[in-house]
Parts: sequence; structure tokens; C-alpha cells
Amino acid sequence: MPQQSEKEFSERLRRLIETIDIANMLTSPIIDSIRNLLELSAGAIGSPEASVLVRDGDGSDLKFLTAIGEVADQLLEMKIPAGKGIAGFVLSSGQPMAVADALGEQTFYPEVDKQTGYSTQTILATPLRYDGDVIGVLEYVNRNGSPPFEPFTPDEMDKAAVYADAIASLVNAYNAAKLFRQFSDKVLSSDREPDMAEIRDWLLAIRESSDHHERMELAVMLREIAERGESERRLCRELLDTILRFSKSKDDVSYLSF
Amino acid sequence: MSTDGSAFFSTMSAYFGPGTDWRSSTGKGVTVAVIDSGIDDTHKDLSGRVVESVEARVEKNKVIFEPSEAVDSAGHGTACAGIIARIAPEVRFASVKVLGAGGLGDGQIFLAGLEYAIKKQYKVINLSLGTTKPQFFAPLHDLLDRAYQAGCIVVAAANNLPQPSFPSVFSSSLISVIKSAQRDPLKFGFHYGEVIELTAPGVNVRTTWPGGGYRDLTGNSFACPHIVGIIALLLEAFPNMTPFQVKSALYAIARENQEAED
Repeated sequence: MPQQSEKEFSERLRRLIETIDIANMLTSPIIDSIRNLLELSAGAIGSPEASVLVRDGDGSDLKFLTAIGEVADQLLEMKIPAGKGIAGFVLSSGQPMAVADALGEQTFYPEVDKQTGYSTQTILATPLRYDGDVIGVLEYVNRNGSPPFEPFTPDEMDKAAVYADAIASLVNAYNAAKLFRQFSDKVLSSDREPDMAEIRDWLLAIRESSDHHERMELAVMLREIAERGESERRLCRELLDTILRFSKSKDDVSYLSF
Repeated sequence: MSTDGSAFFSTMSAYFGPGTDWRSSTGKGVTVAVIDSGIDDTHKDLSGRVVESVEARVEKNKVIFEPSEAVDSAGHGTACAGIIARIAPEVRFASVKVLGAGGLGDGQIFLAGLEYAIKKQYKVINLSLGTTKPQFFAPLHDLLDRAYQAGCIVVAAANNLPQPSFPSVFSSSLISVIKSAQRDPLKFGFHYGEVIELTAPGVNVRTTWPGGGYRDLTGNSFACPHIVGIIALLLEAFPNMTPFQVKSALYAIARENQEAED
């Protein structure tokens, strides 16, 4: 391909990618699935108001990723500061808990109710765990029907934990898709080649199995070395050959595992 | 000499069985450290009980503890303290607030809180928190050994979820508790040989809540303070009990509870 048309092609490709709504293509199907699962679980647990809260940024502040119920739209605009309220506690402690308003007085951490006009009387909150980390909180508020509401039971707590497992995997996929989206936005908007350090940071931010993580890091490292020049490539190849020979020479036990 | 341990249990019964002194004690002279979200000492059930209140702050990647004026921002610590106070009405509290500090990971701050309570040699430590991160396994194990050697009795809530959480799966230097639907705090159970040995009330437990009210709470977090309350009673009657002796006493009392039921 002559150089001019190659440049034209890459320019057209870039424009095409920009016109497709990559943002929504990656993340919105995942949000839809989380919401569907949330609806199913709320039906099974018998609660009209349910929400999935995730970390907002790197800290322990929480934001609503999706919610169902009367005040769902209002919740999506709100944030909960680190360690505040039931959800904040569950995120930090990893302990699920159920709270019921014993005497019908005002609710605790009134900010959410104040802003939504909703009256929270009984809560069931379960941590969303992925790979040993708490990445969010699954919360159910009140029950179907009219007050006073019966407290949530230990059986319902166990049921919520099963849904939390499924939802946590999807939340992890959502986080990874979001990171990928941010990264692709960055690459598309800049003319320069992607920075290897940035790629590495991006990989670190993705929560995957540590095994997978290591392999990906190794792959990025190899690419970085390969781009440095001929002598680096040759040296890297020799080192890798040596490692492979060493590894093969071990009959029973391999001290190196990839 | 009998080989089924009956001699041991009849001796234990003389100290801990029905009608023995500890059952009428109030936890006087015992201070319990609550590593949690803080304690609201303006609640009428808790006022004047909190002798120390510190909170974690992250400074240059290190966790330091300084006197805290902050209120309990999550309600959980106040709830745990209320359960302990109901069983042992004269117990004192040290509140070690480890939630909401931000900065470092939650696990690291929680570990620092436990270390703080051990250094201060609080005799009983309520730990209704846990972590499932494998990297905390070794440091927690080390800290719990230090607690054991220092004579601090650490009581932890089991994880409510299927996977194990630390430290509740450690058995030698720790007392770990799971919830039951039992209502009477004295009727706790002991399952010798199981990972989580003790069961205590943890379903719809009515307890103190910040702002002066009460809530009905469910979770292993609330089973743990029930056992802490019982330990405070035992320590008033026998102030020099070691963690090992406390565990043996709990075992003997639970066995009697079980026999009474059968």
C-alpha cells in the first residue's frame, strides 16, 4: 500500500472508531445485566428498593452504580463518604449486616433519606467481593407491602450473598471495561504512541487473577523490550532460551512456573 | 482417673457452673477495646463508659492513632458496645476507630488498630471486622500471637460468607464467634473441633444506635460482642485468667448449657 493511502486509511479508521459509541458499547450491557440480576434478587428477597454501590475512585467513598425502586433515579446522583452509614461500614469491614428500625424513630445516616424523601426502615447490606477485595456493596431497603416491615432474616442474608457473588463478577467486568474505555479514549485523542508506563498502570488497575496479571505484565514487558532495539531483542531472546532450557532440564520438579 | 475429661469438667463446674460468682458480676474493673467505627458515648446506655477514644489517621503512609472527638459514623461500633454493656453493665470501653480514615487500604488500618490495642494491653479486644485478603494472613497471625503472649483475649466475628476471613479462621490464639438465633446471651454454644468454635445470639439483637435510639441487628458482628460481654464477667471474678483459661472456661460453660438443654 502506498504511504499516502495507508495514512488515509488509518485516519478513516480513527474517525470510524470515534463515531461508534465505544463508551456505551463496552459498559452499558454490563450495567444492564447487573440491573437485571438486581431485579431478580430483589424479587427473591421481597424488597422493592435495591441498589449496587461501588467505590468512587481509589478511596472508600461510594457511589450508586445502579438501583431499582421508587427513588432509584435520585440515588444515582448521590455519593456516600468513606465509612459512613451501613453501606460504608459493610465496604470497610467486609461484614454483611441487617438493620431494622426498632422504635420507628428517625433513620440513621439521614442524608440519603433527606435528599430522596424516602423512609428507610429496614436494610440488608452485603459486601461485593472479588478476588479477596471488597469492591462494592449490595443493599436492599424495606419490604414489599406497607410498614411496619419485618426485619430481614439470616436466610435472606445468605440468599443475598449468593446474588452478591454473581453481581461482584459483573461489577469487576464493568470496572475493567471502564478502564479499557478510558484508556482507548486516551489513545484515540492523542497523536503520540501509547506510553508503556501508562499501559502498565492500566494493567495494574484491572482486577484479575494474579496469575493472569503476571502473564499480562510479562507480555507488556516483552513488547517494551522488543521495541527498544535489535540488541535488546537478541539479549532478551537468549535469556528466555536459557530459562526454557533450564526449565526443561528439570525432570520432576520445575522451580519456575509460568 | 477418668479419660473422658469428666473430672476436668466437674472441676470447671465448681468455678463456672450454675450459681457461681461470675454469673452475678458486672464487668467491673474490666476495659474492653472495641476496634470498629467508634462509640457514641452520648447514648444514655454508654455515657461515662468510654475511657479512651482514638481514631486512625494516615500520615506519610503510616497509621497513627490520636484522641478522637469524632462520632460513630456507621453505627456499628456503638451497636457492639451496647451489646457488651447490656451483659456487663459496669465494663469500660476503649474505642479504637479504624473506619473512614481513607488513604491506606482498610485492611492495613484495621491491622494497625489491633496492634494499638495489644500495645495498650487491653485485656479483651472486640474485633467484629475481618479481611479475606491473603496478604494479611501472616501479619495477623503474628499480631495474634503477640496478643496471646501479652495476655490479651481477642474475640473475632466469623465471616458471614462462604469463604474464610482472617482472623476468624485462626484457632489457637483467638476466640471466633458465629451468630445463632438464641436470645439468651448466657446460652452460648461451643463446637469443639470446628473452625469457628463459638455460637452466640446474632439475629435481631436489639442494641444501642448513635443518636440515642435502638436498632434490631443481624450479623456475626453482633454475636462477637455477646462473648466479649461474658468474658468481661469472667474477668471480674478471675482477673488473672489467661486467654487459654478463658477459652477453657467458655468451653465448660457451653457444655453445661448443652447438657441442660438435652
